[in-house]
Amino acid sequence: MYVAAKGGEEAIQQAEKLYHHLNGEVTREQVEAIRDHLPYLVDRVMGEASLYAPDLAALAIAQSGGDLYEAVLLLRAYRSTQPRIAYAAPVTPDELLTVRRISASFKDIPGGQILGPTLDYSHRVLKMDVLDTLNPPTSLQNGHYHEASEETGLTPADRPAPRAYPAVADWQRAQGLMAASPKHESVDPADIPDVTSDTVLFPAPREHRLQALARADTGGVLALGYASMRGYGLIHPTVNELRLGYAEIMAKHPVTGAQFSAGRARVSQAEVVTSDGSKAGLSIGFAATLGWNEVKIIAASTLDLEMNQPEPHPAHTEEFVMYHTEPVESSGFCIHFKLPHYVTFASSVDNIRKVIATFYSSESKLQPERAEAQS
Amino acid sequence: MTVISSRPSSPNSNDAPRLITAPPLLRAKGLRKTYGRIVAVDEVSLEVYPGEVMGIVGESGSGKSTVLRLLNLEEPADVGAYTLDIPDYAGVNLFTLERFARRMVQIQHIGIVYQNPYLGLRMRYTSSGNVAERLLITGERRFSTLREAARSWLAASEFPLDRMDDPPRKLSGGMQQRVQLAKAIALKPRVLLLDEPTTGLDVSVQALVLDTLKRLQRELHLAMVLVSHDLGVIRTLADRVLVMRGGRVIESGLTDQVLEDPQDAYTQQLVHAKL
Amino acid sequence: MNRLAALAAPRQDYSYAFLDAYAKRELRRRTLKAIAIPGYQVPYASRELPIARGWGTGGLQVTLSLVGPESIVKVIDQGADDSVNAANLRRFIARMSGAQTTTDALKATIIQSRHRIPEEILREYQALVLQVPDPEPLRAVESNSSRAHEMHAEADYGQMWLVLYEQLVRYKQYIQGASYPSLVNGRYVISPSPIPRWDTPKLHQSAHLTLLSAGREKRLYAVPPYTDVYPLEFDDIPFQVEDQRGWVCAITGVKNKFMNEIPQPDGTSTYELSDTGYMEKVAPADATRTEPPGATYYDEQGNFYHDGYLKPPIQPEL
Repeated sequence: MYVAAKGGEEAIQQAEKLYHHLNGEVTREQVEAIRDHLPYLVDRVMGEASLYAPDLAALAIAQSGGDLYEAVLLLRAYRSTQPRIAYAAPVTPDELLTVRRISASFKDIPGGQILGPTLDYSHRVLKMDVLDTLNPPTSLQNGHYHEASEETGLTPADRPAPRAYPAVADWQRAQGLMAASPKHESVDPADIPDVTSDTVLFPAPREHRLQALARADTGGVLALGYASMRGYGLIHPTVNELRLGYAEIMAKHPVTGAQFSAGRARVSQAEVVTSDGSKAGLSIGFAATLGWNEVKIIAASTLDLEMNQPEPHPAHTEEFVMYHTEPVESSGFCIHFKLPHYVTFASSVDNIRKVIATFYSSESKLQPERAEAQS
Repeated sequence: MTVISSRPSSPNSNDAPRLITAPPLLRAKGLRKTYGRIVAVDEVSLEVYPGEVMGIVGESGSGKSTVLRLLNLEEPADVGAYTLDIPDYAGVNLFTLERFARRMVQIQHIGIVYQNPYLGLRMRYTSSGNVAERLLITGERRFSTLREAARSWLAASEFPLDRMDDPPRKLSGGMQQRVQLAKAIALKPRVLLLDEPTTGLDVSVQALVLDTLKRLQRELHLAMVLVSHDLGVIRTLADRVLVMRGGRVIESGLTDQVLEDPQDAYTQQLVHAKL
Repeated sequence: MNRLAALAAPRQDYSYAFLDAYAKRELRRRTLKAIAIPGYQVPYASRELPIARGWGTGGLQVTLSLVGPESIVKVIDQGADDSVNAANLRRFIARMSGAQTTTDALKATIIQSRHRIPEEILREYQALVLQVPDPEPLRAVESNSSRAHEMHAEADYGQMWLVLYEQLVRYKQYIQGASYPSLVNGRYVISPSPIPRWDTPKLHQSAHLTLLSAGREKRLYAVPPYTDVYPLEFDDIPFQVEDQRGWVCAITGVKNKFMNEIPQPDGTSTYELSDTGYMEKVAPADATRTEPPGATYYDEQGNFYHDGYLKPPIQPEL
C-alpha cells in the first residue's frame, strides 16, 4: 500500500527486504570484483561523487545494484559526514604521471603523442567466445596488471616513458598564440572556494565552475556539450590536449610539516581551444575530474569554453549548465515525482471545478464538447 | 530661453505658432558611446521641449538607435549628461542613477515604442494586460481600475476594444503598434521615444498609426523623439530634425528647413534619394 | 595534543544528527538570517543526505540542525504521519538524534511537513519546517535565478500581478493552485511551498515559527512568529481557499477541514481528513487514548480564526 493511514513504516521496510530478496545480498567478493574489473565504472562514480575511494565506490555500485545515480548519492551522502582533515597540494600537468596524452591540434607535439591504454581504435565486436568458455579471461585477473609478455601480447617500448610531458599550451604561449597564464600566486588551499561547502551564486567563481564540472553527471555534460559542438554553440572546439594519468596526492604532515604522499589517484584532464580570429589568439577551455572519463572532460571543457563567450546559448550559460548537470540533484528531483502529490492535485482540481461552475453553471462535469469549447 | 515652435510640416493643421517659455524637458549633452573599438555615438547633444517632436534621421549604423537606447536609459553613455525636467530628478544626470532609481524613472517618465513589437510587448499575455502591467508596476491593486485604464488607453490609441484581451501575437502589425503605444502612454510619461514605429507596416496602416501618434502627441503634450530612416514619417511628425551619420550629428534644424534646403552634402543626397 | 589522532575526528560512523558541526553551524546562521529578514531567500551550501535530493533534504537539514535529544518530532507528508516518505524521514531523524516522535501536532516541538500545515492552531515555541521543491515564486515569469534575485531586490513583482490579472481575464478567478505566492511582512513575495491555499492563511500572524527550506535549490527562508503574510490578491477580487463543499470525513464525520477525495469504483467519491494526526484525536483508534483536539484554524462552520482575513468570492467584471 502506497500511503496507508497505518502501516507506512512497515511497508517501506518490507519493500526494502523485497529488493534485497530479489537482488541478493552484497558480498565482499562482489565489491572486489567490481573494483578490479570495472575500473571505468568505478571512476565514473568517484568522479561524480567527488570522492576518490575505489573500495567505497565499488561498494556503492554493488549496494545499489548498479544504479549509478544511487551509487553517486550513497558516496556523496557519506562524503558529507566526513571532516576535512587536510588539503592536498595542487597538482600541475607536468607533475602528472601521464599514461595517455594526445593532441588533435598538431600532428606531433613536444614529448610525443602517447596513445596509452585505449579502446579508441578497437573494432567494437562482441567477443562471443568469452561466453563459450567457462574460464574468465586471465589478463586482468584480480586487478594485477601483468608484465608485458607473450601472454598479453604487449611489446615493451624501446625507451622508457619520460617522467613528465610538457603542456601543449605552453608551446602555444611561447609562440604568442595564446595569452600568457595568469601569474601564479600561492593560495592557502583552505581559502579556495569550495562548491561542496559554499553557497553557489552567479556569476560563479571559476573554482566553483570547474568543481561543478568535475563532479557533473557524465550524461548531462555530454548532452549539453554535444548540443554546443553540434551547432548550438558559438565555437568549434579543438582538443588541444587530453591526458589520463595518476596524480600524486601530497599532503602536509600535521606534526612535522613535511610533505608526504597520501597515495595516487587516477585523474583526467582536457583542454580545448578555439579562435575567433581576433588578436586575442586562442581561447582555452579546461576540465578535469577524478578517474578516467574522457567523454566527460572533453564535453565539460567545451562547456567551460562556451560559458566564457559573451552571449552563450542558454544551454551553455553558467547557471544553466551548473544547475542541470548536477547528478544528485537532477536525478533526485526527477524521481521525487513518484512521491504522492494528492494535496497539490486536489488544489488544482478545486480550481478546475470552480472554473467549470463559472462558465457552465453546473459544477463537476466537463463534457467532451465542453472540453473542446475550452481550448 | 524662448523659441518659436511652428508646425510647418502640417499645412492643414489649425495650430497657430506658439510661444514656448518652458525650459527644455529633455536635455542630452555630449553623448558618446563605444562598443569595443566601435564608436557608435559621439558628441551628440539635443534638447526637446514639452509638446515638441524631435526627429532623428540617418541610415542604419548611423547611431540613431543607440541614441534612443541611451535616452531610454537602457544603458549609460560613456561620456555625456542626460537630464529630464521631472520631479525629484531635475538637473540630475540620469546616467549616474543606480539601477533601481533608473528603472523607476524609465517606467514613470519615459514611454517607448519599438519597431519590433517583440521588444516592447509580452506576446503571450493579453493586450490589455500589457497595458495594465504599467499600472501594476507602480502599485495599482484594484482590478476594476486596471481594466478601466487598459480600456481607455487602448481606446486612446484607437485599438479595437473587442480585441483587448487577445494576445498581441494574434494581432496584425498595426494593432501591435497600437498596443505598444497604449502601454507606452499608460503612465502619462513626459517623454515618448519612437524607434521606427511604422516601419514594416502597409502604407495605409502606416498613415493611420501616424495620425494617432500625432493626435496623442498634441492631446498629451508629449515631448517626442522619433527615430526613422523614412523622411516621410519625419516630415509628418517632427518639428525639428537631427541628421546623423557615423555616430555624429551632421545637420540639424527645423524639419522643413532641413528637408527643403539641406546644407550638408550627405543630407542633400539623403533627401534627393527619397524624392 | 598535536598528534594526528587528536586532529582527526574519532572514528565513528556519523556525527550526532548526521551533519557535522560545521554544516549545522552554517545552517543555524542562515536560519537566523532568514528569521531576521522575513521572506528573504537565504542561500546555503546544502549537504547531501542519505535520502534522495528532492525528497525533503532541505527540510531535513533544517530539522537536523534544530533537533536535540529533548525534541519531540512530528513528520507529515500530504498531512499523513504514516505516508511512506514521512515514515522514512521520521525514522531517520529519530535514529540520528534520539529525539522522541509523535503524531500530535500540539505535542511536537518540531514539525517537518511536506505540502500541509496541521489543522490545529500551532503555538509559540513550535517550529514548522516546510520542505520546499522550488523556493522561487518568480520562476514561472523568470527562469534565470540571478535575474529573479535582482527582481526580489527591487521588489519588482509587476509580472506576478500580471499573471493574476491574466487569470481573472481568462477564468474570472485566480487559478493558481498550491504554493500560492504570498507577500511576507510587506516586502518579499515567497512561495509558501506547495501547501494548498487552505493552509496559506495559517502563516499570517502565526504564533509558531515557520522555516522553509529547499535542499536541491539551496535556499532557506522564514516566516517569523506574528508576521503578516498575505496571498497576492487584488483589492476588489479576494483570494479564495479550496472549497471543501460540505464534504464530510467518512471516518470521523468532521466537516470544514482539508479533505482527501477518494475516488470510488462506482464513480462517486468519499472523503477523509487529510490531517491524520487530527483525525486520531477526533476518532481515536485506541479508545483509552482520549487526547482532546485543540482549537483549529478553521472552525466547524469553516470560518477562519482571523476575522475578515478571508472574504466571500467576488467575480470580476470584465
